[in-house]
Amino acid sequence: MGGLKIAACQALSVAAILIAWEAAVRWGLLDPVFVPAPSSILQVLGVTGAEALPRLGETLLKTLLGYALAILAGVPAGLVLGSRPTAHAIAMPYVVALYGVPKILVLPWIALIFGIGLSTAVLSAAVFALFPVVVLVAAGTRDVDPALVTVATSMGASRAQIIRKVLLPTVLPSVLTAMRVAMVFALLGALIAEMLAGNRGMGFQMQRAALAFRAPELFAATAIVSVVSISVVLFLEHLNARLGRWR
Amino acid sequence: MRIWLWRLGLLLIALTLWEAVARMLNPILYVGPSQLPGALARVLATRDLPPLPGHAWLTVSEIAAAYVLAVAGGLWVGFLLGLRQTVGRIYEPLLATLYAVPSVVWYPSLMLFFGLGPASKIAFGFFLGFFPVTLAVLAGIRQVPATLVTVAVSMGAKPWTIFRKVMLPAMASTMVGGLRTGLALSVVGVLVGELLGARAGLGYVINYAYGLMMTAEYAALVVLVAAAVLLLDGAGALIEARVKQWAG
Amino acid sequence: MTTGAPIVVESVSKRYETPSGPVPAVETVSLTVRPREFVSLLGPSGCGKSTLLAMIGGLVAADAGRILIEGTPVSGPTPSKVALVFQDPGLFPWRTALDNVGFGLELTGVAAARRREIALSLLEPMGLKGFESKYPRELSGGMRQRVAIARALALDTPILLMDEPFGALDEQTRLLMGEWLVEVRHRTQRTVVFVTHSLHEAIALSDRIAVMTARPGRIKDVVDVPLAYPRALDGPDAVALHTKLWAQIREESLRAMEGRR
Repeated sequence: MGGLKIAACQALSVAAILIAWEAAVRWGLLDPVFVPAPSSILQVLGVTGAEALPRLGETLLKTLLGYALAILAGVPAGLVLGSRPTAHAIAMPYVVALYGVPKILVLPWIALIFGIGLSTAVLSAAVFALFPVVVLVAAGTRDVDPALVTVATSMGASRAQIIRKVLLPTVLPSVLTAMRVAMVFALLGALIAEMLAGNRGMGFQMQRAALAFRAPELFAATAIVSVVSISVVLFLEHLNARLGRWR
Repeated sequence: MRIWLWRLGLLLIALTLWEAVARMLNPILYVGPSQLPGALARVLATRDLPPLPGHAWLTVSEIAAAYVLAVAGGLWVGFLLGLRQTVGRIYEPLLATLYAVPSVVWYPSLMLFFGLGPASKIAFGFFLGFFPVTLAVLAGIRQVPATLVTVAVSMGAKPWTIFRKVMLPAMASTMVGGLRTGLALSVVGVLVGELLGARAGLGYVINYAYGLMMTAEYAALVVLVAAAVLLLDGAGALIEARVKQWAG
Repeated sequence: MTTGAPIVVESVSKRYETPSGPVPAVETVSLTVRPREFVSLLGPSGCGKSTLLAMIGGLVAADAGRILIEGTPVSGPTPSKVALVFQDPGLFPWRTALDNVGFGLELTGVAAARRREIALSLLEPMGLKGFESKYPRELSGGMRQRVAIARALALDTPILLMDEPFGALDEQTRLLMGEWLVEVRHRTQRTVVFVTHSLHEAIALSDRIAVMTARPGRIKDVVDVPLAYPRALDGPDAVALHTKLWAQIREESLRAMEGRR
C-alpha cells in the first residue's frame, strides 16, 4: 500500500469517526452535555481560540522555562553519570527510583511553597522533564565505544580533543533525543500544575470548563492543546532529522 | 559489596541534608525525615483526615480495574495492528501521534463525562496504561526472528500453532516489559486523577492534608505512596527478569 | 529407517519483485536427484541456489516449471517428505536442546515420552549426550547447528535439504562438521541436497555437484564425484576435480561480482 493510499485511509477513518460522532449526538445516542457534537466544538473554537491564545502562551512559557531548567541541569548530570562508571553504579538506582515515583505527588508541596502561579508550573515542568533527560543522556554517554577512544589516544589526541572529537559526536544523538522527549514531559508538568494549583493557562482553563460542564469549550481547548503539542513534537522530530543527517 | 555501602552512604547523606535544611526553614512548610514516622502514626489515628485504609483500598481497586482494562485493550489492539499488516500501517501512525499529546489533557474531559467518582480515575488509568502495552506488542511481533517462523512453517505447523508455540514465546521478553510499564502508568493515571479531582482515594486524602496545611502528614502520605509504588514496580522488575531468563 | 526419495526439478524459474523491477533469481533450472544421493548446489553468492532449495522445500512457489518429489508436485511445505536446515540454526531459545529436537514431533502429536526417546537417540551419536537439558545460549555454534540437524532428522524424512548449514562456523569447526555429516549421512541413507559456495565442502561431501551460474541462476554443469570414502582431498583425483570446478566457478564468481553495484 502506497503512502498516499495510507494517508487517504487515515483521513477517511478520522472523518468517519467525526461523522459518526456528530450523528450519534444528533440522534440522541450521546448526551451533548457530556459529549458535545463536533459541530458545536467547531462553533466554539473561534471564540475559545481567540481567548485561548494568551492562555496558551502562558502555558507554553511555563513549559519552555521549565524545559530550559531541566536541560541545563539534566544534560550535565547525565554526562557526568554516564562517563563515570562508579558514580553511575552508585547513583543511578536512585535516579531510576525517583523517575518511577509519580511526580505529581510532590506538586502540592511545591504549590504550598511557591504559591499558585508561574513558579509552581515552571518547577513542575522542570521536575517532570528532568528525569528522562538524565536517564537518556547517561545511557547515551555510557554507550561510547571504548575502542574509539583507544584509537584516538593512540593517535596522540589530548583529553580535550577526545571529548570534542569522539565523545561529543557519539553523545549528541542521545542529547537531541532527550531534548525532544523532555519537551512533552515539560508540557505535561506545566499542564498538571495548572490543573492542580493554577489560576491561569490552558490547564486551569480546561479544569474550570470541566467542572462547570462547559463541554464544547473544554473539548475545543483539548483539541487546541493537542494540535499544538503534536505540532511541536513533529517540528522537533524534523529538526532532529535535519541535524542528524550526517549519520 | 562496596557499591552497596556507597549507595547507603549516599542515602544517609541525602537524608541528613534534608533534615538539616528542613530544620533551618519554616517548619510549617518544610518537614524533615525524622518527623515522618510520627506523622504517619498521626495520619492513621487522627479524625481530621479521612480514614486511610478505606481510601487506600479504593485506590488499589481503581488501579486494578484500570490495569486489567489497559492490558486487555492493549493486547487486543496491539495484535490487531501487529498481525494485520494493512490495518497496522494505517492506524499505527495515528496511535503514535496520540502519544505525542501530554496525557493529562484528556483528564478534564474524562472528569466531565464520568464525574468525580472512581470511573474517571479508572478511565484515565486505562488510557495511560494502554499505550505501553500496545507498543510492546507491536515491537514484540516485529522482533520475532524470521528464521524461527520459517523453521516452524517448514515443519508444517499451522498458523495458530505458530502463533502459540513460536511467536508468543519469542515475544515474551518485550511484552512483559510493556506490561510492567503499563502497570506503572496505570498507577500514575489513577493517582493523578485522584489528585486533580476526586472525592475519595489516596490522592484525595493527600490533597485534603495539603489543603489543611498538615505538611508533615502530607509528607508521610507521599512517602508511603511513593514507597508502595516502588515496591510494586520492584515486583514487576523481578517478574520481568524471570521471564527474560526463561525466554532466552 | 527411511530410504531416500527422488527429486525432479523440471524447468523451474523464479523471479523476485523489487522496487526497481523484477529480478530473476532462477531461470529454467532442471535437475534430477536420485534416491539416497548427496547433491551439492555450488555457485557464487546471489546465484539463486538458496531460492532453488526453498522451492524444493515448498517454502517458495516457482513462477514456471514444477518440482516433483516421489512423483508428486510440490505445493507447499511437505514435512512428511522434506526437512530443512538453514545457516542460522533457528533454535527456539526458550526450549532445551531436547525440546528443540522434539518440536517437529510435537507438531505431529507424538507423545512426550516417545519424543524424548527419539530426541535422545538422535542427540547421542552427535556427541551431545549430557547436553539435552541445555539451552541454546549455553551451546557453542557447532553444537547448535548439530541440534538443528538433529531436529531435522527427527522428522525422519527421506529428503534433507541443507542451506549452507556450516557457513556461520569457523574454519576448524566447519571441517569437523563436514566429517561428521559424512558419517551421519552413511548411517541414515537419506537424499540430501546441500547448498554451499565452498568447493572443498562440495567435493568432500557430495556424490554429484551441480554448478550454478551467476544470477539468473541456471545449471552450468553437473559433475560426478566418484571418490571413495574416506575421501583424500589432497589426492590426485580430488585435486583434478577441484581445478576443473574452480575454473567454472571462477568465471561465474567474476560475473557475479561485476553484476553487483
